Amino acid sequence: MDEGFDAITLEIYWSRLISIADEAAAALLRTAFSTIVRESNDFGTVLMDVNGDSISENTGGIASFSCILPRTTKHFLAKFPAETWQPGDCVITNDPWLATGHLPDITAVSPIFHKGKLVGFSGSIAHSPDVGGSLWGADCREVFEEGIRIPPTRLIRAGVRNQEILDFFLANVRVPDQVSGDLEAQITANEVCAARVDEFLGDTGLADLQGLSRALQARADLAMRRAISAVPDGVYRATLDADGFEPDVTHIVVAVTVAGESMVIDFEGTSKQIDRGINCVMNYTHAYSVYPVKCALDPFTPRNEGSYRAIEVRAPEGSILNPRFPAAVGSRQLTGHLLAGAIYKALAAVIPKQVIAECGGAPTMRCLFSGQDQHGDRFSQVLFASGGMGASPHRDGLATTAFPTNAGAGSIEAFENVAPLVVWSKQLRPDSGGAGQFRGGMGQEAIIEVRSPGPLRLSLISDRRDHPAQGVLGGKPGAAAEIVFSDGTRPHPKSRTTIEPGMKLHMRYAGGGGYGPPSERDPAALAADLKDGYVTDAAAYKGDA
Amino acid sequence: MAGTARIGVDVGGTFTDLVLHDPARDLVHTGKLLTTPDDPSEAIIEGTLRVLQEAGLTPADLHSIVHGTTLVTNTVIERTGAKVGLLTTAGFRDSIEIAKEIRYDLYDLFLEAPPTLVPRHLRREIPERLDVHGTTLLALDEAAVAREATALVAEGCEALAIGFLHSYRDARHELRAREVVRALFPDLAITLSAEVAPEIREFERTSTACANAYVQPRMKKYLDKLEADLARIGFTGRLYVMLSGGGIAAVREAKEFPIRLIESGPAAGAMAAAFLAKLAGLDRVVSYDMGGTTAKMCLVEDGAPDHKFDFEAGRVRRFVKGSGLPLKVSVVDMIEIGAGGGSIARVEPGSGLMKVGPRSAGAKPGPVCYGRGGTEPCVTDADLMLGRLDAKYFLGGEMALDPGLVQRAFATGVAEKLGVKPMDAALGVQRIVDETMAAATRMHLAEKGRDPRGYTLIAFGGAGPVHAWNLARLLKIERMLVPLGAGVASALGFLVAPPATDMVRSYVARLERLDFAHVNALFAAMAAEGRKLLEEAGADPATISFKPAADMRHVGQGFEIPVPLPALEIGEGDVAALKEAFFTSYQKTFGRVVREQPIEALTWRLAVSAPGLDIRIGAATLAPASLAPRGQRSVTFETHGTLDVPVYDRYALRPGMEFAGPALVEERESTCVVGPGARCHVDAHLNLVVELNG
Repeated sequence: MDEGFDAITLEIYWSRLISIADEAAAALLRTAFSTIVRESNDFGTVLMDVNGDSISENTGGIASFSCILPRTTKHFLAKFPAETWQPGDCVITNDPWLATGHLPDITAVSPIFHKGKLVGFSGSIAHSPDVGGSLWGADCREVFEEGIRIPPTRLIRAGVRNQEILDFFLANVRVPDQVSGDLEAQITANEVCAARVDEFLGDTGLADLQGLSRALQARADLAMRRAISAVPDGVYRATLDADGFEPDVTHIVVAVTVAGESMVIDFEGTSKQIDRGINCVMNYTHAYSVYPVKCALDPFTPRNEGSYRAIEVRAPEGSILNPRFPAAVGSRQLTGHLLAGAIYKALAAVIPKQVIAECGGAPTMRCLFSGQDQHGDRFSQVLFASGGMGASPHRDGLATTAFPTNAGAGSIEAFENVAPLVVWSKQLRPDSGGAGQFRGGMGQEAIIEVRSPGPLRLSLISDRRDHPAQGVLGGKPGAAAEIVFSDGTRPHPKSRTTIEPGMKLHMRYAGGGGYGPPSERDPAALAADLKDGYVTDAAAYKGDA
Repeated sequence: MAGTARIGVDVGGTFTDLVLHDPARDLVHTGKLLTTPDDPSEAIIEGTLRVLQEAGLTPADLHSIVHGTTLVTNTVIERTGAKVGLLTTAGFRDSIEIAKEIRYDLYDLFLEAPPTLVPRHLRREIPERLDVHGTTLLALDEAAVAREATALVAEGCEALAIGFLHSYRDARHELRAREVVRALFPDLAITLSAEVAPEIREFERTSTACANAYVQPRMKKYLDKLEADLARIGFTGRLYVMLSGGGIAAVREAKEFPIRLIESGPAAGAMAAAFLAKLAGLDRVVSYDMGGTTAKMCLVEDGAPDHKFDFEAGRVRRFVKGSGLPLKVSVVDMIEIGAGGGSIARVEPGSGLMKVGPRSAGAKPGPVCYGRGGTEPCVTDADLMLGRLDAKYFLGGEMALDPGLVQRAFATGVAEKLGVKPMDAALGVQRIVDETMAAATRMHLAEKGRDPRGYTLIAFGGAGPVHAWNLARLLKIERMLVPLGAGVASALGFLVAPPATDMVRSYVARLERLDFAHVNALFAAMAAEGRKLLEEAGADPATISFKPAADMRHVGQGFEIPVPLPALEIGEGDVAALKEAFFTSYQKTFGRVVREQPIEALTWRLAVSAPGLDIRIGAATLAPASLAPRGQRSVTFETHGTLDVPVYDRYALRPGMEFAGPALVEERESTCVVGPGARCHVDAHLNLVVELNG
């Protein structure tokens, strides 16, 4: 299995290759120009072998990205066969179907050469500050409205930049300096990875990465298979509903089949694709299906291509989880983030101690303000904030924390310094965590007042207005999301509108679902919740409401 | 006139280390005794009297004592601080709990958030609001301040923190709130966020204020007692404390802002390395301190350790970034990883591969070889099995190690599960722990845009010199330096640290729109305050120097870089120079510049310092000079297999002596491994200087 490597050498090489991916990520973070990579953690770096199979990925980025990058690389290899790559190449794309499911993410892949021979690929994905098209939203009808689409393209050929293509792209975006700055950061990250791998091969005397890659994939595969075989065989089903885009509710149907050491996750029966921007391409569906399985079954083994070999993911073509081109996909996270909840719901009966309840922060809820400030400067700011995590069999859900994504939140003082907005409140929402033996994590409420000289554009990208996060194994649902203007009106949760100076927007982020019946809650935990005001309605949380 | 001798005292978790230096008598003397956790000043007093007696001095001969302590950090880790109440801007009561909304471990569904120091029922909202310019949007509700403070005191709060929005810009609401509370409760300890950390970003600033309030009552009591105890034994000199940034300060500052002592102990090691680097004329150094539980690495350039202005305390998982409480304090920028002599080796059930650390056997039961009940093989056990340590000469022979136990532990603990021989498992432990340290060091340097090649490794701590040669090799570092007394070298830092402090204020504006009168007023205030602090810390006013800087970024970016400023007073005419300075720093950090985007400054900093003392390391404890090895041992190297290696007596070596690797150099608290192909010479300061490709 180990291709002639002893177990100690394998551990050392694996750690070293992970630290190479981490170093590439550090280079990306350090040199990226825009805030989005840093503030919302929206990036990933992956080291791949000559087949485009991942060997290692960075530790801290978005989990789905590292899962998708090798798939994109294989598309690149289909268009540009391995023997055509030259040192100094860099191929990019943002095609949703080939890559991460929406246009703002740019994937960049560079070849790695050692002693003149192609030995692998370094790849990075980062959420670009802009890709043209409409203001970021969920209500487009076709992908064409959502920005410029770049098919797999050699941005750099043998070290020479294709300036015409770059100019063409930058002419289509709102903030070309930031976009090109971030793209340069991705190229730098790929170069760092390639240089370190070259050095690694030199240090170890290995001719290429293939034997090592196979051995490491086999180890990751083995760990996942061991974990799956500990789950009793059977077919486990669940359904889950979300607001979707009226008149269509998003209906997720999942069947998880465990047979021996392999697993099939099938979404047969899920809603059809719709003509709004919440369709979730197969790559994204796959990534957000295998990630929660990894968290539940085998959280500690490092990831690579082998980690997910034992899991097959299926979704019917033409469904909202496998839409056909040219479906609108701009806010595919509104659908993709739901899958973890559905899968955990299916598995709750058989591995109750390894799953959590649905999360209020899945999907994420975003409000984006854009317009001119008091100096006449253009600005565009997203308020990052999360709902509460679902409760677990071991403790209450974390308040205001996103899962399955991991976008953080910034400072309100810093936010007010860059946008003509005043945030009057950003605090926990009492009674928003679902009741249960363990309580769901609380959501939060933010109140934002527009203080600009003129009206601003507001884009809302959210769900869970009508479908709060459900509890599991007797746990109760968390509070639903609410968006209300100070005049009492409620904007459409997936809309682009205008907001006048003086208006206040109340954003109430959903709470997570509870775990286990509320009647089993430790009275001391409830008393502490009441004392701290996390809960005001004791009856509801005792389970006798 | 007080005396000339100085003592540095480091109160650690297990040991209290003392080092005495008297320039008048050319004397350095060290001491070590068990820490007295219930009252740390007991061990300080006893240790002080002991080293004085051994050196033939009395308390009256002391000029000063410099003190470093883990009391602050332990109070936060063990959650044994005061009951604190917090007054916040209405609507922001939960900032310290909402935190950054990040999961610090992507794959752990059950992770725990770091508990706040102030529970929600002790966080009270005050109607008041300033905007980003310091303009009042809502006046301070003084009645609410009085009411809530009274309620908190009634709840039993021993200290109060006040953290209002935008107080970094204008502190008047916080200041007024303090007056209101003082009028009611004159003796209540109050921390203002605008005083302890006047920087933008409410979560970090308020968190710092809460942490300061949390540790203040205990720290004040401790320092009061220590002062009294020292006076009682006849000490008439000055008592100073070591700040986290590596400067020394007067006790008054420590009582007011005890949170600035959070990294008091570790800072000393970096200051010691900086001192050794200066002495040896090295301008690019990686300081490497490896003890029983952790390894700490720090970049030392041009004789000074790198600084940063935030720190994470009380982590839920000690070595995981994001799992602790962020503090806005000036600290020496070092990485600490779970790689020490006590780090435990185990085989992961999932992948079937071996991991080393971060779990540590600590001092109890300790590594298997101590024979105190430890059964899981550790790094020290591997070092013994590979011949790096002498079973009979550990701690100078005070402690006999048991190689038989180690052999069995490796066989059953890991070798069997991995399907390898025990010796290969031991070698594997060494390879893995060294690779882990190398990866962390590479990463730390990469984040700063540096490459370890071309740097010198300065190694100390009990385990540092044992692993330094291999670590240097992995990092492609060509030279390492190991001081005499490497096992206790970090205590030197207390004696060479300069009086120094870092002042800060936030004020956000684009460079073109700066209000220079305001900026200059900020610097004038910082300079006056810094000068006062340094004079209290014993600095000669004539030697105090100021280094102004600003944290700047392009408009639209979410992170800032420090940019040095030309002078304490700047004006309209300096804008072009400020931009150029920003571009220079940007280029240095990121390797390129973007000229078109506008630039803004967020935070203004002033580093205030006076020169530290130079000390000469005396030759009192040395054995007769000799380059003859005192023995020979079989040592196993990853690169060269098992070799017969000469063992030198560290105390017999003298400046100018030279020998080739492979070799071992033993001293009481540590052993220096010189690998095959390396050459070692002893420099004028008795440092071992090892050229890896000698």
